[in-house]
Amino acid sequence: MEKVIETQELSLNYGDFNALANVNLPIYRNKVTALIGPSGCGKSTFLRCLNRMNDLIDNVKVEGIIRFNGEPVQGVGVDVIELRKKVGMVFQKPNPFPMSIFDNVAYGPRQQGVKNKDKLKEIVEKALKQAALYGEVKDRMNESATRLSGGQQQRLCIARALAMEPEVLLMDEPTSALDPMATQRIEELIEELKKDYTIVIVTHSMQQAARISDNTAFFLLGEIIEFGLTSEIFANPRDKRTEDYITGRFG
Amino acid sequence: MKGTRTSLSQIDTIIGSLLMILALVASSFIVIIAAFITIRGILPFITDNSGLGSVNVLQFLTNTVWLRGTTFLSTAYGAGFIIINTLYIAFLTVLLSFPIGVLTALFIAKVAPRPIAATMRTIIELLASIPSIVFGLVGVGLFLPVIYNIARAMGYSSGGGSSVIATVFVLSLMSIPTITAVAEVSIRQVDESLEQASLALGASPTQTRFKITLLAAKSGIFSGAILAVGRSLGEATAVALVSGNARSGPSFGLFETTATITSTLLQGLKETNGIDYDIRFSLGILLMVVILTTNLALNFIKRKVGNVHG
Ligand SMILES: Nc1ncnc2c1ncn2[C@@H]1O[C@H](COP(=O)(O)OP(=O)(O)O)[C@@H](O)[C@H]1O
Ligand SMILES: [Mg+2]
Repeated sequence: MEKVIETQELSLNYGDFNALANVNLPIYRNKVTALIGPSGCGKSTFLRCLNRMNDLIDNVKVEGIIRFNGEPVQGVGVDVIELRKKVGMVFQKPNPFPMSIFDNVAYGPRQQGVKNKDKLKEIVEKALKQAALYGEVKDRMNESATRLSGGQQQRLCIARALAMEPEVLLMDEPTSALDPMATQRIEELIEELKKDYTIVIVTHSMQQAARISDNTAFFLLGEIIEFGLTSEIFANPRDKRTEDYITGRFG
Repeated sequence: MKGTRTSLSQIDTIIGSLLMILALVASSFIVIIAAFITIRGILPFITDNSGLGSVNVLQFLTNTVWLRGTTFLSTAYGAGFIIINTLYIAFLTVLLSFPIGVLTALFIAKVAPRPIAATMRTIIELLASIPSIVFGLVGVGLFLPVIYNIARAMGYSSGGGSSVIATVFVLSLMSIPTITAVAEVSIRQVDESLEQASLALGASPTQTRFKITLLAAKSGIFSGAILAVGRSLGEATAVALVSGNARSGPSFGLFETTATITSTLLQGLKETNGIDYDIRFSLGILLMVVILTTNLALNFIKRKVGNVHG
């Protein structure tokens, strides 16, 4: 199996606070990797390392190696914009821009200089179809994105990320603000998307991790306690702490 | 228990009615002021002005000369050019101060290191609280000589530097702190997750600031601009000091002297009487109408712009 992303001995400090310690994790191509663990164990922090969104936070110190397609992600010489074009991100709370549905999806390509109207239309339609939203919005492309329902907004945010044709999609608890129906639609969507994309998803829900992921990493206090096939981790966890967590004894 | 509840709800009722009365008093003041100005301002049009004859409304609104000479006549007062000048100057002021104010706000809120931002914020607040006459003095002492010399070097004559451009500079100096302060607050309130989403899509920080931050803050930014327009339209003293108080127009050239509704209203107000005194109340009506319609128009645009995708 081909590794798209790989971290080796990754550590991260917020000032004096150690948020990640010695994290070694492979992310395999066209697989869904779930990151689970109690609140505050560093799942979001880890995810933000992969597209360098931690750069925005003051006093962050990253050590160790992160590779994307074999190339280092850290370091001054790395083109962060190129990286973010290839490694897209979907946030916990749906955050559509205050502009039309069309403009939301076209935003990324436009910033890269795509101006041609037909080309943009094609990109937007394709992304919306991939995000299973096209049918619902095709007649209201010029309406404000903020008028969509929460679940639709989140699928729009997924479409917005897909419009950049990334290789990897990072999703930080993408369904935690959604109702069960909307959650189910997103889960079905993830199932579809993994044919073309590599997905890393943080989730609080054990059932969700079990349902949609191929691999699972269990984080605790900034460390990876266990990583492996989701089916194995859930059927017979090797570590007592993993077992306690997935059976709901703490979390 | 029951007794306490009744007395609490009684207090509620009393405070409610008190607030209602206060609101009524406050709003009736506005009505009284507007009515007073309107009634006084109508006099020149409906009386014979102690034998001078009544002023023709249409001529008053469209003529382009305001009392040349010293003889008061019912036909001497044309405010058409003054209205145009007033709107023209407000427009130029916004054209100059809006981009500067918004960019300064963006710099303070998003780019400047914290200590610099804090210092600039204090300076902006101080500037916003300086009385307009001080800006007028700066205009007279600093701008007029410079503008006079520049105009002469360029082969234009200017009334000692008193000019459209001097007026616009002074008003911009007054407006920029207001625009900056209001815009900065609304820029800081922009949901950070929108900016993060933009950066995560591979947009640069600069693209993010101009395309997302400003967009998300546009309603507040617009409010600041509306305040600034109001201040420009209503400012009298500072404008009277640097405009040159032209008696005819309209003046579109940047080095021409000019006059606005407020500066004309103010000129010699205390030393005159009769029609020349009463007609200033007519200017007062004009001022109220201009400010009201401008405000309505801008608020309409704001709602249009703000609602499309807000
Ligand atoms: N910007 C930050 N500054 C300082 N500490 C932070 C910051 N972000 C997160 N942390 C801390 O790092 C730890 C991991 O946070 P996070 O990655 O958000 O955890 P999770 O996503 O697993 O809930 C937490 O203890 C949190 O308080
Ligand atoms: Mg998190």
